[in-house]
Amino acid sequence: MSAPLHFMTVAELAKGIAAKTVSPVELTKALIARVAALDGMTHAFIEVTADLALTQAKKAEGEVMAGIRRGKLHGVPVGLKDIIDLKGVRTTAHSHQLIDNWATDDAFVTQKLKAAGAVILGKLATHEFAMGGPSFDLPFPPARNPWNLAHFTGGSSSGSGAAVAAGFVPAALGTDTGGSIRLPAAFCGLVGMKPTYGLVSRRGVLPLSQSLDHIGPMTWTVEDNALLMKVLAGHDRLDPASADRPDPTPEALLGAGVKGLRVGYVPSLGTQAEATDEVKGAVASVATTLADLGAVVEEVTLPPLADFAACGMMILLSEAFAIHEPNIQARPERYGEILRDRLLLAGLIDASDYVPALRMRTELVAAVAKTMSRFDIIVCAATATPAPVITEIPKFGLFAKPPLTFPFNVTGMPSLTMCCGFSASGLPLSVQIAGHAFGEATIYRAARSYEAATAWRERRPALEAAAPMSLAAE
Amino acid sequence: MSETISTEAFQVLLDRAGISVKPEHMDEMRNAFMLLQAMRERVRKPRGYDAEPAHIFAPAGR
Repeated sequence: MSAPLHFMTVAELAKGIAAKTVSPVELTKALIARVAALDGMTHAFIEVTADLALTQAKKAEGEVMAGIRRGKLHGVPVGLKDIIDLKGVRTTAHSHQLIDNWATDDAFVTQKLKAAGAVILGKLATHEFAMGGPSFDLPFPPARNPWNLAHFTGGSSSGSGAAVAAGFVPAALGTDTGGSIRLPAAFCGLVGMKPTYGLVSRRGVLPLSQSLDHIGPMTWTVEDNALLMKVLAGHDRLDPASADRPDPTPEALLGAGVKGLRVGYVPSLGTQAEATDEVKGAVASVATTLADLGAVVEEVTLPPLADFAACGMMILLSEAFAIHEPNIQARPERYGEILRDRLLLAGLIDASDYVPALRMRTELVAAVAKTMSRFDIIVCAATATPAPVITEIPKFGLFAKPPLTFPFNVTGMPSLTMCCGFSASGLPLSVQIAGHAFGEATIYRAARSYEAATAWRERRPALEAAAPMSLAAE
Repeated sequence: MSETISTEAFQVLLDRAGISVKPEHMDEMRNAFMLLQAMRERVRKPRGYDAEPAHIFAPAGR
């Protein structure tokens, strides 16, 4: 039995659109209606750009009917985290500070999506400026996890995670400075890729910490993620970090399997990263599955998470404070409490912290590169637990328990998270797969093999069952 | 690392940085500062010559 329209993957939709069995206009209308009916529970969207989306969908449909194909995103709806500029629409960063901040141009990635014929369905919730949340004192409520509405989506690309898991869009863009693509992907049971630093241009995206910021796709399947990455990657001469690289996702390589692939399995990232037995078991089973598929798996140790966290946090907080310092001094009341207090604390960091942190980053990059010389990919946990209850996230939790995703922001290596099981309470568990710089294709190759060998993609959140009768009936 | 920082000592740091904290958040911020302090101590260690800050020229055409 085929999936309902709202749960079809990008690849399935592309096939249907090409065969003219799926209408981009009807698809867009169906997703807008689904958001209207159900997003009152999940709060994934800050703004649905219905008029724009329908205009783009009509254009795409006309082109398809005329035999013009712009690729696999042609006519496919996509959501944008609300720190990514979409011309003529507000970029609020989920904050009172930017409540009237109208984008005068498209971000580079938005331009790429439009050129590929994608339909931009709207702007998605985020932690305030990608750093403060989940917060209940902002102009919009925090996104909720479609697997269990009492639980956290992860952040900061919270709306992107919720929207894809809920079947509001088949794909969304997120940004990742310490894990903000991979954590919501993990907690919402998706595939999230933080590409190599520089593979995807940051131009037109509000910065959090310029030397750690990345933009990437969040999707239901690995294949979809690679499809998005193929569109998003590309050199941008106006982004000084932008790399000029060949196609990061050649299709021939993606389906090559894992036979002979050298996999470093990291059972633990140290005492600060201690995971639950459920998570440990699920991640260990990924290593076993890859070995069963022909990979050569060996246990390996990385520097402790505490080192990456200390280094990364000094850099992140310093660069973020430099960006927000004028507003935190002049208009602190326009920030939510969580971001405001985190930024105020960041103001106590000085050059004697920042410069050694940059030096420490160089050393950590070298240490990981030395380990990686023996492997094609590294496999470790994505999170220490399944998604916690949304009202139980401590304001300074990042400081006490740093995200397990942070090491690969510090090194700039690509890293993907994907579902590898479910907790006893029915929440997704996820694994993290990291690779060499610009080694996205190898990560996708392993992830796709694992996904094909398991049945985790057959399960979806039952959002309708959680809806009040009035919502479910719409 | 010391267990905590006194309110007075923390206030001096805030004043020096020109930062105001709401009185009701002061204890929470002092506790968080100690987590930050632990990270600072981990970062502020001697580093090798090969990790010195450096300026790198972009390739031609960039």
